[in-house]
Amino acid sequence: MRTPEEKLLNPRPGSKIAEARDFGIDLTLIVGKLRKTPQQRIDDLQSAMRFHVELDKAREARLLKK
Amino acid sequence: MIELKDAITALVDNDVEFVLIGGVAITLHSSAYVTEDLDLCYSRTNTNLVKLCAALGRFKPRARGIPDELPFIFDESTLRNGTNFTFSTTIGDIDLLAEVAGVGDYTVAKEKSVDFTIYDRVVKVLSLDALIAAKQAANRPKDQLVLPELLALREAFDPDSE
Repeated sequence: MRTPEEKLLNPRPGSKIAEARDFGIDLTLIVGKLRKTPQQRIDDLQSAMRFHVELDKAREARLLKK
Repeated sequence: MIELKDAITALVDNDVEFVLIGGVAITLHSSAYVTEDLDLCYSRTNTNLVKLCAALGRFKPRARGIPDELPFIFDESTLRNGTNFTFSTTIGDIDLLAEVAGVGDYTVAKEKSVDFTIYDRVVKVLSLDALIAAKQAANRPKDQLVLPELLALREAFDPDSE
């Protein structure tokens, strides 16, 4: 039997996993998350949130300069 | 942006009865989805409302969208007079839901939750199956965007899928 990671990296045609790939989901990102602990996943999420905030600040600063 | 550690540790350390739902729950189930807020399904018992106020009061919750000049009191009475709340706080946005569409109230959400350990605390998180049911019931564009990923995750862990 294939592991979840194997299923995600080589989806069976017609499967929900294949549907997600065809929808545009990067399945390698999910595999990357599966390899992490819940704490690492939540830390990644917090980092992504902080990055979004910094991007917003940079965008606003650029708009003010114009 | 929500300061997750501050919010989650405050809730757990005050013995609040809650289940993590929404984007943070989805992330814990290994999705790459990024959310900006914290969504909880909470118990509506009087004791729990008191605990919720003790946990979140220090973050000065205000109902999102009301003008700054209007007074807002966050206490048990406020929570008792409503069911679902969207709060802005000093640590970010926190949404409290008494009932999750497609799932049910806190008691059902708790039954359909799994335990995750984060910040050295055990936290109840809505199961993947229940998250899928909630997203299917809500069926907003943002729910439709995350559903394929959740369905793929469920299939990956289903021993009968192949």
